[in-house]
Amino acid sequence: MENSLYLAWSSESEIQKTASSGGAVTTLLKFALENKLVDAVLAVKKRDNSRFDAVPVLITDPELIRETAGTLHFAPLNMAKFVKDYLDGARDTRIAVTCKPCDARAFIELAKRNQVYRENLFLAGLNCSGTFQPAVADQMIREVYGENPQELAMEEIEGGKLIITLKDGTTKEKDLAELAGQGFEMRENCLRCSCKIPRMADIACGRWGNNGQAATFIEICSPKGHEFVDAAARDGVLVTEAATGKQIEERRQKETEAVEHALAREKRDLDGLHDLSHEERLKYWVGHLNRCIKCFGCRDACPICFCKECYLEPYRDCIAGGETPPNIMFQLVRLSHVADSCVNCGQCQDACPMEIPLTRLYNSLNRELADLFHYIPGVDVDAPPPLTTATDQELSIDAPYIIEEQSSAR
Amino acid sequence: MNKIEHIPTVCPYCGCGCGIELVLKNGEIAGVEALRSHPVSRGKNCLKGRNAYLYAYSDQRLKAPLVKKNGKHEECSWDEALDLVAQKLAAAEKDGAGFINSGKCLNEDLFCFQKFARIIGKTNNLDNASRFCHSTTVPALVSTVGAGVMPTSTLSIEKSDCILLMGANIQETYPLLAEKVILARSRGAKIISVDMRKTPTVKNLTDLHLQIYPATDTLLINGIMKIILEEGLEAKDFINNRTSGIDELKAYLDTLSLQEIEKVTGVGTDKIKTAAHVYADAHNACILFNAGIAQHANGIETIQALADMALLKGNYGKPGTGVCPLRGHSNGEGFGDMGTVPVFYPGFQRVGEETAARFASLWDVSDLPDKPGMSYMDMIEKCRVLYIMGANPAMSAPDINGLKKKLGNKEFVIVQDLFMTETAMMADVVLPAASGAEKNGTQTCVDRRVQRVRKAIEPRGQSLPDWKILCLLAQKMGAGEYFSFNSSEEIFEEIRRCVPQYHGISYERLARSGGIQWPCPDESHPGTETMFVEKFGTSDGLAHFQVAPYKEPLEMPDDSYPYILTTGRVEYHFHSGSMTRHTKRLQNEISEAFAEISICDSEKTGIPDGGAIVLKSRRGEVRTRARVTSDIKEGQVFLPWHFPDCLANILTGPCADPPSKMPEFKFSAIKIEKVESNGK
Repeated sequence: MENSLYLAWSSESEIQKTASSGGAVTTLLKFALENKLVDAVLAVKKRDNSRFDAVPVLITDPELIRETAGTLHFAPLNMAKFVKDYLDGARDTRIAVTCKPCDARAFIELAKRNQVYRENLFLAGLNCSGTFQPAVADQMIREVYGENPQELAMEEIEGGKLIITLKDGTTKEKDLAELAGQGFEMRENCLRCSCKIPRMADIACGRWGNNGQAATFIEICSPKGHEFVDAAARDGVLVTEAATGKQIEERRQKETEAVEHALAREKRDLDGLHDLSHEERLKYWVGHLNRCIKCFGCRDACPICFCKECYLEPYRDCIAGGETPPNIMFQLVRLSHVADSCVNCGQCQDACPMEIPLTRLYNSLNRELADLFHYIPGVDVDAPPPLTTATDQELSIDAPYIIEEQSSAR
Repeated sequence: MNKIEHIPTVCPYCGCGCGIELVLKNGEIAGVEALRSHPVSRGKNCLKGRNAYLYAYSDQRLKAPLVKKNGKHEECSWDEALDLVAQKLAAAEKDGAGFINSGKCLNEDLFCFQKFARIIGKTNNLDNASRFCHSTTVPALVSTVGAGVMPTSTLSIEKSDCILLMGANIQETYPLLAEKVILARSRGAKIISVDMRKTPTVKNLTDLHLQIYPATDTLLINGIMKIILEEGLEAKDFINNRTSGIDELKAYLDTLSLQEIEKVTGVGTDKIKTAAHVYADAHNACILFNAGIAQHANGIETIQALADMALLKGNYGKPGTGVCPLRGHSNGEGFGDMGTVPVFYPGFQRVGEETAARFASLWDVSDLPDKPGMSYMDMIEKCRVLYIMGANPAMSAPDINGLKKKLGNKEFVIVQDLFMTETAMMADVVLPAASGAEKNGTQTCVDRRVQRVRKAIEPRGQSLPDWKILCLLAQKMGAGEYFSFNSSEEIFEEIRRCVPQYHGISYERLARSGGIQWPCPDESHPGTETMFVEKFGTSDGLAHFQVAPYKEPLEMPDDSYPYILTTGRVEYHFHSGSMTRHTKRLQNEISEAFAEISICDSEKTGIPDGGAIVLKSRRGEVRTRARVTSDIKEGQVFLPWHFPDCLANILTGPCADPPSKMPEFKFSAIKIEKVESNGK
């Protein structure tokens, strides 16, 4: 099926006012709830109206959808994990979820593991050019922009700049590289992320290609995506227009540029590590991993981890309880369990109180595995994780070392 | 459809004051998540924080008031329990009752407690665990810089270019403070650790470790200062403009010999010199110290020496500098601020006629106590009636065998807590308190940050918030008019009126993550990140150098008790464990004590790793297992104090003289005996 490309906007003036880019997503979610295409919407809301304090919110009243309108760049929430942990994986409920590309990819990985019910989920993907940790952003607005963070009305990332708009209408922009130089960088995983448009979701929505109009560029990526968008368009709440060649090209260019940027960053970050000698690389990682205080933050935040009886728990007798740092097997077990499926969401590193660059570790191994197995995590529900499955060909491989060991044991 | 709510609140454990978020599913806690918007913790927590408040659901929670009848605790109604308490408190003669409280309680609870003690008990007999952690800090820092508080903000520690960790294993005990140190180090800061053990902090976060002979820190710091002065590295302008007393200090340091210092501290002169240069070369150096320094009889002198050293280099009044006492309790600043101590009314207003008169007028009462009350151990010794709120001295106080005898002889003991603690077992009445997840309030953490704690769930069983219990009791005792509070916010409004540092803080202003740092004199004031920017808290505004001589610990090892015992904490538990031992994931990690002994002592005594041993002091003995390690030096033993099967504080005992009266938890003389396989 060819993906369909539209420009879309809300026909409700109230939504147009509060939402960004014409309010297409807000309208679509409201429509889906009103018309019982879903039972609930899981979206992101500003607590106390603070752009630095976002929380996931489960909505069943269509009138409340408007509270979640607008784009946030300081809200790296963990939506897939939330659905798995707190909403029974959408087992009995049809839920529409707004998600960044890494959230969408995490949903796909969890669906493969039967931890979320993909058929009950409508994934409203949002293009993403990267996120800041909210507390870091708050400090940055105060210290670098010299502004009161609570006066912030909007922020956008465009052309390598973070542009902020204050409630009085004034705008200020800073180069992302300059901000990084002052210690205020985007989340590290975001800098290396080359998945900017979440095509594994049911729809992928964003500003790229809207040519500055109050409209959302929607790429429809699944039959369910078609069903929802078509129904809303038929009803008239959502106005759609087929995207023009020029708009499509503009979007393609922006995406290519962003992806190239990310790949360059990935190369810079990871090649350096890869090129170290074995001893140096070991020293680098052991130095970082020895800071571990075994808080389980990385495991608990990982949207791919799902075992009810985790091998890392002391009662499983693999990693001794109460030791700081834990045996390095703690890290290696985690790495071997999720590296093939890591969706580079960065939640592990966000959670780490010891500032261990975990995404760098997972990212570098995942990059090598991806090449080896031609496997990209979080894209295709039907593609099994390579390290937990074996192909027929692999099963037929003789394993001479096993036989040798057995014979020498005799 | 499931109903999901997010309740932002503050972790109830150490003094870092990290944000957490309780996720409620259909009204009950379904998970604890990090609070990303929090400026200190920024979406990160330790294992304790990640499991915070889950003890609220423990089946061991006290569900109803208990009264001891024929030696057995029996459930009774609130009316019956409070009638009995009221009767006993009324019968206690003036000053006959002692009021022990805890930094686990919220500001509102503590404020009501001291008001109750002062109006109804007519006494300043109020004290808490600050006696056991920072009773040395306050006099030391008041005498030098005028206030015993952390002068910088936790956040600004990451801007320091040299951090001196004194007796503080922050990686295990203050993980989110350690995170700031890690950030500073990644930007080039040098980290010096002074510690008798090779702790995880020493091994993983430290550039220079001075493995000192226990309790000789005063001498070491004096040595560093001697080098700084001899080499002319001091900040002369700062000393001229902002301090007094440098000549006396110089004259004293001249009398010391570095060779002698090397001999006593066990730290080589070369290393001391390196440390002096690293500290002296920094632009913004920060000193973090904790129990390893404060829990010594000579703690006041060591902390004075630390302040002297910071002043010598002008390391005050700028972000990321100063001498910073760490706080063990989540409300470790608040339980001083609220005046729940024998010498201060709320807001550190010194007990005296003038202060008593001021509070009498604020509260519209007459005859408030104007003489200092008894301190913690004096109350245990002398008061006939004890009201213990949230504290667990039967694990946390020194010489537990002695303490239990004294508690057993009391006329009446009231314990108010979440659980049947070791202390509650000895109480005549046990009152069930609501946990921090079941009530609203505020707490004030290490960097004077006042933050909102929010109610997420209903109190379990018949438990009630501490403040509510006190209000009910006050009504029974005919003083209800002074305790007519209907909400924690009403109490906070009174706190604001009484505590000058809190004048500008309100619940409304505290709605946002991260709270407000006092002093905050008015509602338009943003709070204070860095103190002493222009002047110090002393009466003349200058900092005062103090001559701080070294003294030997109270109980030196000898032939009969040749080992030095130091007690401490591990990452997975908190203090006497009343909360962490009721948290499954923490108990899974470690639930039994161990004693670290050196490889050398293991070889000498034949005690193997994991071998059963008995530790004996002049006050009692405990059994545990040896953990043989190269992290500790010969003749020294480390024992955590969280575990009831091995009460470390049976062994501790000697306390300093006034003003600190600090028990010397970090230095007791003991002997070790091997338990033979037949158990003897």
